[in-house]
Amino acid sequence: MRRLATTAVAFSLVLVYARSAMAHGFGPTYDIPIPLWLYLYGAAAAVVLAFVPLALYSRKTPDADDAYRYPRFDLFGILWLRALLTSRLLLGGLRALSVFLFFVVVISGLVGLQSGFNIAPTFVWITWWVGLSFFTALVGNLWPLVNPLSVLFDWAEVLARRLGLRDNLELGESYPGALGIWPAVGLYLVFVWFENVFSGSYVPRNIAFFALGYSLITLYAMAYFGKETWLRHGEAFSVFFGLLGRFAPTEVRVKTPGICQGCDACEPGRCVNCYACFRHADPDERELNLRPFAVGLRLPQIALPGVAAFVIVVLAGVTFDGLLETPLWLEIVRLTPVDQTLGVMLLPLLFFGIYLGFVELSRIFGGGGEAGFGQFAAAYAFSLVPIAIAYQMAHYYTYLLIQGQMIFSLISDPLGWGWNLFGTAGFDPRYGIVGASFVWYSQVALIVVGHVIAVYLAHSISLRLLRDPGRAFRSQLPMLVLMVLYTITSLWILAQPIVK
Amino acid sequence: MRRAAVVGLVVVLVLGGLFFLLRPDTPDDGPQDRDFDVSIKDGEMSPEEISVNQGDTVTLRVNADEPTELHVHGYDVEQEVEPGREAEIDLEADLTGRFDIEDHEIEKELGVLQVRPR
Repeated sequence: MRRLATTAVAFSLVLVYARSAMAHGFGPTYDIPIPLWLYLYGAAAAVVLAFVPLALYSRKTPDADDAYRYPRFDLFGILWLRALLTSRLLLGGLRALSVFLFFVVVISGLVGLQSGFNIAPTFVWITWWVGLSFFTALVGNLWPLVNPLSVLFDWAEVLARRLGLRDNLELGESYPGALGIWPAVGLYLVFVWFENVFSGSYVPRNIAFFALGYSLITLYAMAYFGKETWLRHGEAFSVFFGLLGRFAPTEVRVKTPGICQGCDACEPGRCVNCYACFRHADPDERELNLRPFAVGLRLPQIALPGVAAFVIVVLAGVTFDGLLETPLWLEIVRLTPVDQTLGVMLLPLLFFGIYLGFVELSRIFGGGGEAGFGQFAAAYAFSLVPIAIAYQMAHYYTYLLIQGQMIFSLISDPLGWGWNLFGTAGFDPRYGIVGASFVWYSQVALIVVGHVIAVYLAHSISLRLLRDPGRAFRSQLPMLVLMVLYTITSLWILAQPIVK
Repeated sequence: MRRAAVVGLVVVLVLGGLFFLLRPDTPDDGPQDRDFDVSIKDGEMSPEEISVNQGDTVTLRVNADEPTELHVHGYDVEQEVEPGREAEIDLEADLTGRFDIEDHEIEKELGVLQVRPR
């Protein structure tokens, strides 16, 4: 009973903190809503450009390997680059740095200053969440290498082996395959709630608690089901960065994919973007390729159950963040019993329903086909990833540029205890790096470009599934409507006056 | 190949034409002096949003019912305000964007200064 009372007191303290802090994990925005004419222009451009990939596409009947034909350049072919990128010093150093930063965040969150100077919120929300997601989409996926929880798990296994306790820490329970990546969908939804709805998401202590709680779940599940299995199915950020990494202009590849026997992430006979196989492969078998953007998303994927839901939750998550600042949202809250928590759950459901409806329409227009509804729904989901990336960038890049500068002063005084470790504690962020009109044009351009790539990918995927240019063309008409609708919604949100 | 060129040309023409059709003429009235009377009562600022154009010279005449310290983000202007005595904040609106005006005593956001580009 007494323990319960203590817990209750502690919890209410957290809530008091929460209320005094900023409502949004990112702090205030410096962006002015885009003007009406530019919104209309962006919407018109989205409609016009939607037809370009269709008009340019080859009328030839594609063969099964078409998706794999794209220019590639193996960076490991350059000897000094190979030596650098595979050096134990660099890779081990990055992994150790990542674990170190993880502990810096947790310790700053627990014992550092709670209001004001503290590295945890800026590092987690801006540097890691926004910064790493941009890096993953534009350069490549580092998360499988630096994921601190996976590194800690590896270290614990090495320790256990050295002490002669066990060969590995995995309990070897079999993962129920029907669950697919649904655990990751659920955990990602909790994260979106924490980011956008929970009013204490900027409070360092809450960030530390969430990081610790998530770590416990992840470490336990990695031990229970096996590390690689959980990273592929349940670790929300591995799944998230994995999706963004398919957009990236770099890929990891294993030349002779004999190693992929029994891997449920690889297409038989090919091993692209599978980090587990890459890790176990012989060094001579590995490739690190440069490739065009987004081609990784049109490859035939083994779609685990839940993958479409995951993409939709990502899409709904970024949209929800923008929606919260619009007058429309205030009206919804005023007139209906929907609050933010309900909203963060209802919006993905609404999106999912609309998405599945359009997939079915697309199937009817395309004349059915051998592939079933589930296969279509999973395959087209990958075409939405560029839209999610583009919106995420349009929405957050000014945060990274302006608020992101805070990290320079915070590394000198991570706990807010008045330290000046690197002499940068007094660094003043520079505003006005980008002017408001540049922000407008770049936001609209990003969203429209993401939209065009998505249209191209969806058409490419339909050609692969239907194997007939005419049917593929017809099947894309409903998808065009869906994408134009979503793009116009994104632009509309950017054009709304900002309310608190 | 010819198809690509034709499609490309049509797209550029349509989008370029639309851009010039939709883009409004920028008001060419030059920078102006803008004065605002701002009052702070019970932790509320009125007007809540101060909207100016880039290049304007802005003067905020502030009256408050309690002693506070105002801070305009981005411009990093700070000004103490005493009740019963009018305080003045002057700034050249050269940065564009939305900047919070904050009460530094209680760390509360009171309103925004919005500077629109020309």
